[in-house]
Amino acid sequence: MNPADAPLIVLKNLHKRYGSLHVLRGVDLEVARGEAIAIIGPSGSGKSTLIRLINRLETISEGEIFIDGMPTASFTGRRLRELRTEIGFVFQQFNLYGHLNALDNVSLALRKVRGLPRAKAEARAHELLERVGLADKARQYPAQLSGGQQQRVAIARALATDPKTVLFDEPTSALDPEMIGEVLAVMQELPKNGITILVVTHEMSFAREVADRVAFIDGGKILELEPPAQFFGAPSHPRTRRFLKQVLSPLSAAEP
Amino acid sequence: MGGITLNFGDVLAGQPGQWLLSGFLMTLYVSIAGSLVATVLAVVLLALRIAPSRAINAIAIAIIEVFRNTPILVQFLFWYFAAFGLLPRAVRDYVTDNHPWAVLPFNNVVLAPEYLAAAWGLGVFIAAFLAEELRAGLNAVPKGQTEAAISQGFTYGETLRLILLPQALANCWQPLVTQYLNLMKLSSIASAIGLAEITYQVRQVESYNSHAFEAFAIGTAFYLLVGLALGQALGALGPHPPGGRPRRADLAAEKEARAAEVAEAASDA
Repeated sequence: MNPADAPLIVLKNLHKRYGSLHVLRGVDLEVARGEAIAIIGPSGSGKSTLIRLINRLETISEGEIFIDGMPTASFTGRRLRELRTEIGFVFQQFNLYGHLNALDNVSLALRKVRGLPRAKAEARAHELLERVGLADKARQYPAQLSGGQQQRVAIARALATDPKTVLFDEPTSALDPEMIGEVLAVMQELPKNGITILVVTHEMSFAREVADRVAFIDGGKILELEPPAQFFGAPSHPRTRRFLKQVLSPLSAAEP
Repeated sequence: MGGITLNFGDVLAGQPGQWLLSGFLMTLYVSIAGSLVATVLAVVLLALRIAPSRAINAIAIAIIEVFRNTPILVQFLFWYFAAFGLLPRAVRDYVTDNHPWAVLPFNNVVLAPEYLAAAWGLGVFIAAFLAEELRAGLNAVPKGQTEAAISQGFTYGETLRLILLPQALANCWQPLVTQYLNLMKLSSIASAIGLAEITYQVRQVESYNSHAFEAFAIGTAFYLLVGLALGQALGALGPHPPGGRPRRADLAAEKEARAAEVAEAASDA
């Protein structure tokens, strides 16, 4: 097989347990290069845990994750840190470094992890801030930025080390409604530039319009994985149908 | 016995004046040395306290609790009478010998058991408090900061140094300053082990010419002035609060905008 056609990320029989709590119960998933996958599901279904396993913010209980064909579950120390620079992560609460301005937030890892000289790192950071439409906010601190702006800086930061993959953990859930659009607009540009994205989200419109495939996860398993037209048009699993009814028309789905 | 007649001249001039000046300087010398010791030990204690090993944490907790929960006077007496005696004979002889280079102006000897026990005792005592303030400052940094740094490939050491500690310092700067001020004030208790700092000298003046009120007033004024100056200076030198210190220009612009709004509201009404 042509390596360019080989999947970038392969999850094999992935399990996560917290003590007696079995959060992920055998997840298999293949993600192609440049693909956008939306992961949806009820709260507590394990969808955040799933993407946190990929860059190992959580430890793997069982199973294997192949990235670029390489098994990574046994990675520790330097190899794990190198792997993490290849995977951007965007958090629900932005988690910008509070003591640094936008420019330093984006350039810090370039300087300290990648070892770039300050001038080069800052030039790259300026480029990225421009890409997310915040060139004029380079010297602002997180506390001086709106939620939408903070999340765009966080995306620029995640892109700093040129990752092949960016993982998003409910990136718009902490935003005021009028700021969701600006963040989604930045996110949908990434797959166009060949970056693979996995997005845990409650934004059904994003899943419908941007995702190549939508994964529905419940009870620690992927129950459905289809292109959006199929997923929203003709969901096959009864739990998917119930969930979609609840999120798309919450009032009529509510039991009195 | 009539009313009190104050005579500052007899306290500030001549031999008493020399003693007081010498005492001022000694308080400064011991506070500076004590602060350096405290700062270094606090970083060591903090590292032990948050190390990823329960056993090492327990050692740090034990040290911190012993020094925070026993009187500093007892600690001074311990260092001066007990611990110093445990040093090798050669070291003790060297410390107690005459060293002209270790005599600072106004006959302040800084290579002497009194000075070393005082500076070390102050340093250890305050370090225990500083370490706990720093830990509280670290705990106040949101967990997401660590996750963000780890996800970017920083090591834990880099995360601590580049991300967590700068924010922790900003969080706990005021309590830290308070501890350094405490150190300066607690140096007065080292008079009990014979360190000739300002409190010791004030008492000497008092027993020399009985001008107790004047001598104590001068000593008190000294502590107050140094404390206020140090507090102001350290506060101004402190790290920016998270989110950055608002710049003067920004504040002025904001004030202007608010004034304009008020004017607009007034003209509407």
